Amino acid sequence: MTTPTVSTEPNTRANTHVGAKPFDLSQPSVRTAPVSDEHAVVSIKDFNLWYGNFQALHHVSLNIPKNQVTALIGASGCGKSTLLRAINRMNDLIPIVKTDGTITYEGVDLYDRAVDPVEVRRRVGMVFQKPNPFPKSVFDNVAFGPRLNAYKGDLNALVEKSLKRAALWEEVKDKLKGSGLGLSGGQQQRLCIARAMATEPDIILMDEPTSALDPMSTDRIEGLIHEIKEHYTVVIVTHNMQQAGRVSDRTAFMHLGVLIEEGPTDQIFTNPKHEMTERYVEGRFG
Amino acid sequence: MKASLSAPAGAARRPGKRLVSAEEARRLAARTRAGRIFAVVTFIPVVLAVALVGVLLLDTLLDTVSWQIVEPSSSTSGESFPWSAAPLGGREVIRLDLAAQGETPEDVQAFMNDPEELRLFEARGRIELMWRTEDGPFRWVVTNSRDDSVADIGLFGVNAYLSELRGELAEDVEDLDPAEGGLLGRLQGADLDGLFNRFANIGLLSSTLGEDQNLYLNPWLDLSFLTKNASRTPVVAGLKVALLGTLWVMGLVILITLPTGVGAAIYLEEYAPENRFSRLLELNIRNLAGVPSIVYGILGLYVFVRLAQIGPTILSAALTLSLLVLPVVIIAAREAIRAVPSTLRQASYGLGATKWQTVSEVVLPNAVGGIVTGVILAIARAIGETAPLLLVGAVGFIAYPPNGPFSRYTVIPSQIYNWIAENDVEFAHVASAGIIVLLALLFVLYGVAFYLRRRFERSW
Repeated sequence: MTTPTVSTEPNTRANTHVGAKPFDLSQPSVRTAPVSDEHAVVSIKDFNLWYGNFQALHHVSLNIPKNQVTALIGASGCGKSTLLRAINRMNDLIPIVKTDGTITYEGVDLYDRAVDPVEVRRRVGMVFQKPNPFPKSVFDNVAFGPRLNAYKGDLNALVEKSLKRAALWEEVKDKLKGSGLGLSGGQQQRLCIARAMATEPDIILMDEPTSALDPMSTDRIEGLIHEIKEHYTVVIVTHNMQQAGRVSDRTAFMHLGVLIEEGPTDQIFTNPKHEMTERYVEGRFG
Repeated sequence: MKASLSAPAGAARRPGKRLVSAEEARRLAARTRAGRIFAVVTFIPVVLAVALVGVLLLDTLLDTVSWQIVEPSSSTSGESFPWSAAPLGGREVIRLDLAAQGETPEDVQAFMNDPEELRLFEARGRIELMWRTEDGPFRWVVTNSRDDSVADIGLFGVNAYLSELRGELAEDVEDLDPAEGGLLGRLQGADLDGLFNRFANIGLLSSTLGEDQNLYLNPWLDLSFLTKNASRTPVVAGLKVALLGTLWVMGLVILITLPTGVGAAIYLEEYAPENRFSRLLELNIRNLAGVPSIVYGILGLYVFVRLAQIGPTILSAALTLSLLVLPVVIIAAREAIRAVPSTLRQASYGLGATKWQTVSEVVLPNAVGGIVTGVILAIARAIGETAPLLLVGAVGFIAYPPNGPFSRYTVIPSQIYNWIAENDVEFAHVASAGIIVLLALLFVLYGVAFYLRRRFERSW
């Protein structure tokens, strides 16, 4: 590895980035202090995913512990967003996607034929990379999810609770009727988090939630993630390794659709076992 | 570099000093010149188009006004009253006219109660009575130009009229009485060739008038033009029948195309599987948008008028025009739906919305501006269509306004076509007035489309 040699293999996706040695797509994941099945709220087992003929995830297995923050890190195109979106079956919206393996949530296989993806997304909320509030009022944005299923309770109270949990209530309580698009970028993203929480999910998936935000807004969102893990299990995809270090309890490093290493965040960052993880967290590639 | 920037501007500037070499500067100048020429060349078509439209519009507008020399016949009552007191296109005028001819009130009433007699009277087009309109300046109208008692002179036709009169008088100069001799002298002394003395010669024109003759500027396009029924007599001919026909047809077209067009667009955009069949469907819709409108007319004639036996009615016309505009509506609606960012769809799905909820709660409300604008622009295209409607019934003389989807009808373009085909020269003015109304209607539609686009404009 120290002296690059010329590879005789054709230069395919599988052996770029990592020097000359072909990348082994079937290598086992390195696990530190693995989460047992009993403690996992979501359990991904031997999961494969294809976009048409291109395989984006290779035999990924990962247990996600309840009420903790799990960060997925890795270079662009490593499949971390795909894995995240597999958890609430957002990939189903792409017609050419095929999957194999299981993702169980509290013992139910999310990919079972009897399971409606709409049900899955009700229990597993999602926050996207770019703030995407609906062009509706702040109130209607938060109330959108509950209204979809004809929410029977006190909608005002639910909206207030969600906005408070998203640390946005104080800023918007006087302009609930104003457009969600009138808020700043950071406020919009917190509105999206409040919107996701209003459907009362158990898990919140976050796909690079701060990549479109300034440092101040990022700081607020990170603080928020710390606070909400008391109520929710959070899975976050991030490009920012400092962020992964700051907010997450466990970290999983992926490369080219393979889960390379997972473990407690401090272990991954201070004492990585796999050489590629080490190179990545030190910022030497990716 | 930094020093020269901070130095006083006057000191730093050295005339003749260039940033680049002379050769490079020459090439730069050539590039700049080429760019300027290109800008001018691309601007010329814009100027031409605007000028052409301006000339056409001005010509049509000026044609809606004409001078008329009016000479009431001796049998008229000479009474005048507002147009509003003459309902149904001058029934009251007929009554007064008959009275002036010496009929007893009983005879007049009997005449008025006989629709056939009335129809014949109106068809003769000789309402030899003057009346005054409620709006605008004091205005008199009488019968048509076939009647000797009225002469129609175009707004700019004063000089031509006067030189014709001069020629007539000069021909039989021996027989002229002193007054006419004096008139001939004045006409010979006047300059009838200039471009800008046409209005100046109006004074001369009024001095040629006889004892009972009056000169009036007749505005053919006024509010009463919109409320008068069709007639064979130009001065009492109005656009009401055609205007109501157009509104009926367009209203039905909107009712038909909005649900079907938007429904088709939603299916194609959100539900249709991506396969060969849906691609073929899409290609066909785009091609249908370019099919000549007369083809739709033939289709409408066969399918709606004959096969479905709806007859040459408003409903047939609306169905035919709906076929014509549907491809355009579908394409516009699809583009509006596609313009809704996918991030919003994902947000909706991510919150546990079903497909239908996503379409109805997120996609449609955000696409409505584009959809409505597209529909209005398609309607604006259909409103000027004449050819397909000629095949499905909008032809011939329709005297009374439509009263439902199954009545006979005519539409504005077809009415204008009919007027232009008439013998009376004055129908040219009526047709011009009709064209202006049609253009105004289009202008209003485009205005509404523009307003809606602004109203629903979104910043994502």
